[in-house]
Amino acid sequence: MSTTTKPSGARPAVSLYDEPGPRTRRNIRIWSVVTFVLLGAAIAAALVQFASHGQLDADKWAPFLQWSIWEYLLVGLWGTAQAAALVAVLGGIFGVILALGRLSNVRVIRWLSTGYIEIARTVPVLLLIYVMLFGLPQLGINFPLLWKLVIPLTIANAAAFAEIVRAGILGLPAGQAEAALSLGMSRGQATRYVVLPQAIRFASPSLVTQLVSLIKDTSLGYIVSFTELLYRGQVLSSFNHLLIQTFVVVTLIYLVFNGSLSTLASRLRTRPSTRTLADPGEPVGVPVTDPRPTTVA
Amino acid sequence: MDIFVDSAGPLLQALGTTIVMALIAGVGSLILGTFVTAARISPIPVLRALAFGYVQFFVNVPLLVLLILAVFVLPDAGIIGPLAPTAVIVLALYEAAYVAEAIRSGVNTVGSGQVEASRALGLTLGQSLRYVIIPQSVRAAVQPLGNVMIALTMNTALAAAVGVVELTAAANKLNLVQAQPILIFSVAGLVYMALALVIGLGTGKIERRVAIKR
Amino acid sequence: MFRSRKARRLAVPLIALTAVIGLAACSGGDAAVPGGDSSADTSLDSVYKNAVVAKAADILPDSTMARIKERGKLIVAEALDAPLLSQQDPSNPDNVEGFDADLAKLLAIYILGEPNVEIVPPASETREALLANGTVDVVFNTYTITEERAEQVAFAGPYLQSGLAVAVLSDNDDIKGIDDLGGKQVIVGANTPAVTAVPEEQPTATLVSFATDPQAIQALTQGRGDAYVQDFTLLASDAASNDKIKVVGQPFTTESYGIGLKHGDDDFKAFVNDWLLKIQKDGSWAAVWDATLGAAVESETPDAPEIGSVPGS
Repeated sequence: MSTTTKPSGARPAVSLYDEPGPRTRRNIRIWSVVTFVLLGAAIAAALVQFASHGQLDADKWAPFLQWSIWEYLLVGLWGTAQAAALVAVLGGIFGVILALGRLSNVRVIRWLSTGYIEIARTVPVLLLIYVMLFGLPQLGINFPLLWKLVIPLTIANAAAFAEIVRAGILGLPAGQAEAALSLGMSRGQATRYVVLPQAIRFASPSLVTQLVSLIKDTSLGYIVSFTELLYRGQVLSSFNHLLIQTFVVVTLIYLVFNGSLSTLASRLRTRPSTRTLADPGEPVGVPVTDPRPTTVA
Repeated sequence: MDIFVDSAGPLLQALGTTIVMALIAGVGSLILGTFVTAARISPIPVLRALAFGYVQFFVNVPLLVLLILAVFVLPDAGIIGPLAPTAVIVLALYEAAYVAEAIRSGVNTVGSGQVEASRALGLTLGQSLRYVIIPQSVRAAVQPLGNVMIALTMNTALAAAVGVVELTAAANKLNLVQAQPILIFSVAGLVYMALALVIGLGTGKIERRVAIKR
Repeated sequence: MFRSRKARRLAVPLIALTAVIGLAACSGGDAAVPGGDSSADTSLDSVYKNAVVAKAADILPDSTMARIKERGKLIVAEALDAPLLSQQDPSNPDNVEGFDADLAKLLAIYILGEPNVEIVPPASETREALLANGTVDVVFNTYTITEERAEQVAFAGPYLQSGLAVAVLSDNDDIKGIDDLGGKQVIVGANTPAVTAVPEEQPTATLVSFATDPQAIQALTQGRGDAYVQDFTLLASDAASNDKIKVVGQPFTTESYGIGLKHGDDDFKAFVNDWLLKIQKDGSWAAVWDATLGAAVESETPDAPEIGSVPGS
């Protein structure tokens, strides 16, 4: 019915719907139980099927109790992380520059930025990697292995970062920039202190997603023979002939690694308070205190 | 260039497969992603948790691993289907998570006044989502969504790893015989570029038309 | 098309091999671990110790060999995930074993005196380019010699002869060989010779290709295809460790694998062919075969193929 009040320090939340009354709460509870039961049944059925094919046999999973196997895979993960970190930093900086360039008043800069973004967004990363692998060495330029992977990924991801930041900037209410300018800030100052920080905050879900996507793109490193997790998983599965078990383990490693990054990043960004529609990632409109039916006078 | 003319038939067919896969998976992911976002801002805790878990899973696991899981691991859990449809479904599920994230950043930009107004008008949750929130979110998220569609088109190439004959697989086959990787893969790359360019231009046009002026 | 090698001059060893493969697959039991048992290791250790080393006079000044010797290591393009041929041991990643890998070590000993090998795993479509731009010195990757490829790279050898064979589910009695594959769904490995060989033999067969051998085997056991066509020693190794599949029929093609070298480098090609001849004569070739491929296939050690016997080599 009304805006819920929260303890001081938290964001004011605007609810999308009335606080659930008793009947709604009962319905919600019923549906929750039904969903749980259905989900549980589906998972149980899958596990039973799995076991009947012998995929849950202990001896199929025993190799994964050896530390050496985990070390092998984790070294691959470390390679993945190194490459991804480099691309994130370089691509991020480059991306912000491109986004600003595309919104610039100077026509030439705008054209150049737009042109780069449009082309880099549409060139498959695989093609760029082949250029690094074949084209440049023929001209005498031969980069070290890590850079053969990082440079193509940076070129492609900078454009993606640029577009995300640009969407964030455009989504910012115009009043912010106007207020900054009317306070006497130059365009550069307004951008640096007012527009960019808020834009990046708005766009942070997409930015984090792009970062995780980039980590997964590092699996293209097998083309340049870069030691990363997916390739090591494939080598391992051809060694132990246990395709299913190996890839389930690799999936888990990716989930844990990337998942913790996503969680870390989302925790970083929910701290500053912003006054808009409350972040839909948080429960919207669910009151902090136990909802009792309020009598409307 | 004769090598392309000689195998024009299979190459064009593979290109058709790529385009069809991208279209079906694209539309599927857009629809599914919208529902996932709606689930995340709904009052039912279980739905919110499920939507959250869905997005977390598909965003954190590489597509190639997902394809391998769907094609080789699921059959032993009882779910088996033909290769191309499996690949399209996995691709749609995967990209739907990204669509959901893109629309979610769009939701961030919808002013709180909109929500208050729709409730003041007596709209139910479903109605306010359908007529007020989601349309504005999508309009604000056109650029990120365009990015997702382009990434989806590029990702159709991974289906080759699980046996689907699309453009990259056809180029590989051609190269196996002709042994001219630079020429063949450059041309394939240019074709993908052209596809992405079409999507990019389309997105730009749509954005100009529906952008919300603040 | 170039691939008209339907030469059915299968040597007696090959026929005996396939007959015994069927028996080996049926008998099940403990799989021959690729690159595994210690007896093979010790025998190869002695092979390495006594391996032939090139005389100083053989290393022509300004040649590829001299450059390699100065660099101190041999850079080889070989796989890390090919059991029996070149497979990395995850519990000991510095250890890469198999027929291709061990021959590469022997070549390194020949040039340098030590098995200093740096491995660059190639994706199949990049092998020619890796040689052309000098990223690697040689390719040891079951690299089939074809005339088309010979226009881009030089081949030393052939150093191994094999053939494509057919594997099916153990309870499948309908398919006895390549001749029964008409109109069937056939699984092949992407970028393998089977992609062109199967349509030649059976134009009505539909092909499904998978990126790696473990995936193809899994697809076969799950019924995504009626048969799997792949190099027969690889199939033998798979069948030995998986009682759900078996190899049927005889190899229906002859594949000659060569050592990939930079195009036009005649000095190096002569040098490598010279070395091949030497290790065939002194028994190292046979010893390596026994320790790797021979461990999965119970038969006599075959004779090494004749150098230069294949167009393109």
